[in-house]
Amino acid sequence: MNRIADVVVVGGGIIGCSVAYYLAKKGVKVIVIEKKKGLSFGASGANQGGCALQLFHPPILELARPSLEIYRNLSQEIGYDVDYENTGSLVCSVDEEQYPDMQKHVEKKRRQGINVQLIEGDRLRELEPTLGGDVVAGVEEQEGGIMNPFKVNYGFAYAARKLGTEFFLSREVKKIERDKNRITSVVTDREKIGTNFVVNAAGAWASQIGKMVGISIPVRPRRGQIIVTERLPLNKRWRYILDADYLTTAFDLAAVEKSEDPRIRLGVAGSYVQENTGNWTIGSSRDFADYTTRVTMQTIRYLAKRAARFMPKLKSVNSIRLFAGLRPFCYVDGLPILSRLNSPRNFVIATGHAGEGVTLAPITGKLISELITEKTTSISIDAFAFSRFKGLN
Amino acid sequence: MHKRVHDIICRCEEITEREIRGAIRQFNLRTADEVKRLTRAGMGLCQGRTCALLVEKIISEETNRKVSEIFPSSTRPPVRPIKIEFLAKKEEKES
Ligand SMILES: Cc1cc2nc3c(=O)[nH]c(=O)nc-3n(C[C@H](O)[C@H](O)[C@H](O)COP(=O)(O)OP(=O)(O)OC[C@H]3O[C@@H](n4cnc5c(N)ncnc54)[C@H](O)[C@@H]3O)c2cc1C
Ligand code: FES
Repeated sequence: MNRIADVVVVGGGIIGCSVAYYLAKKGVKVIVIEKKKGLSFGASGANQGGCALQLFHPPILELARPSLEIYRNLSQEIGYDVDYENTGSLVCSVDEEQYPDMQKHVEKKRRQGINVQLIEGDRLRELEPTLGGDVVAGVEEQEGGIMNPFKVNYGFAYAARKLGTEFFLSREVKKIERDKNRITSVVTDREKIGTNFVVNAAGAWASQIGKMVGISIPVRPRRGQIIVTERLPLNKRWRYILDADYLTTAFDLAAVEKSEDPRIRLGVAGSYVQENTGNWTIGSSRDFADYTTRVTMQTIRYLAKRAARFMPKLKSVNSIRLFAGLRPFCYVDGLPILSRLNSPRNFVIATGHAGEGVTLAPITGKLISELITEKTTSISIDAFAFSRFKGLN
Repeated sequence: MHKRVHDIICRCEEITEREIRGAIRQFNLRTADEVKRLTRAGMGLCQGRTCALLVEKIISEETNRKVSEIFPSSTRPPVRPIKIEFLAKKEEKES
């Protein structure tokens, strides 16, 4: 069967659905193609749904801020509650030696205009009695928040569908047909869709879609593993707590790879989110294991051990699920790729969001819709251009 | 809204039949996994042992398919609850 669309979006994750929604809002006829039976079966359905603004550095910070701004009213805008809560975040340390780094972190964040404050261990425990005696200090930031990633993913899809977007599920994009400069159609295992634009939002699989148009997209899956606990009463002050090691494991791949500490080499640094239901998700880890989403007991053990130090109360709590997801990670510089190509000139890439894709989904959708319909964007995305990978293509 | 006890499909999470049918219709859901993620039915302490069959039956009715056509929802390990303390000590199984 042959079909026609203005834009074909490859991938029904949080990025693809956000792109579809913002395009549909501009009256564009979109078809989203997803190989799984439903949406959100990739990274978007296997993450912690948090945005700790203090963890964002320029240039991504320039996207995170307006994205958070959108989150504040997103439920209202799309007519579905995505459970966004302005919880703020706390980055804390169990290692005296990290104290100078925390001070530097505070200074840097203040220069970036993020309101942070350094709080000593004893005071932290007064404010949040669940924190362990090992915690020496923490940095609080109040702008960040948490959201339910499934609900964001399905919420965007729901709003897009109301505006005429079609979702083709259980269809895998197999081939992209083109003439000299442009893509003419997208071929799935069931149909051929003629289109004016293709948006590659295939997450950790984006390089496979790139190959279909003869380009090499430097993105590969970076696995993350999570423990989910049963419900606990809501924490008093902080429901989003991170280990200061996170500043290394998430943003300094070289330091992770040459570390002597086997825990750091597995990218394990605590990230603890308490959902509004009371369940805690315990992350985070970062390793490369191709496309497997299995959990490994070694990583789970480190995650559990670390969690028990930051919040000893978690020791006697039951874990009810373990899972892993694949972050779309750009191995050249760790930054997203938000870009329209010169050739084929109707091919747009929206991926590489690594561990920040939930946070960045709304602004990504908005900017990509501008890129396609207006040729220019309201916020500069030059730092995320595909042309930065000169040697590769 | 007051939930009547006999309408509850997932007892661990207190999710009603109406909530499940509503989500299936609103979002065109086709799998038990999606119902679980969006409504929390099946996400409780028993991990769906009590409610999974009922949820599958509802999906089959809503989507006009046989229960056997609906993929069983993935049970993510641990299938039985394990204390964090115990996970922290667990013996290495992989290299
Ligand atoms: C453990 C973990 C924790 C995280 N925590 C956070 C967090 O706290 N905050 C945050 O902001 N971010 C977090 N992230 C990152 C975030 O989850 C991702 O950046 C985001 O989900 C990426 O969305 P996506 O839509 O690009 O990818 P995906 O959700 O993976 O979607 C890509 C989709 O494309 C489909 N696809 C692939 N190939 C094809 C094909 N050929 N044809 C059709 N469909 C195809 C796939 O099936 C998939 O559904 C975390 C990630 C992980 C793994
Ligand atoms: S009854 Fe639904 S998870 Fe236990």
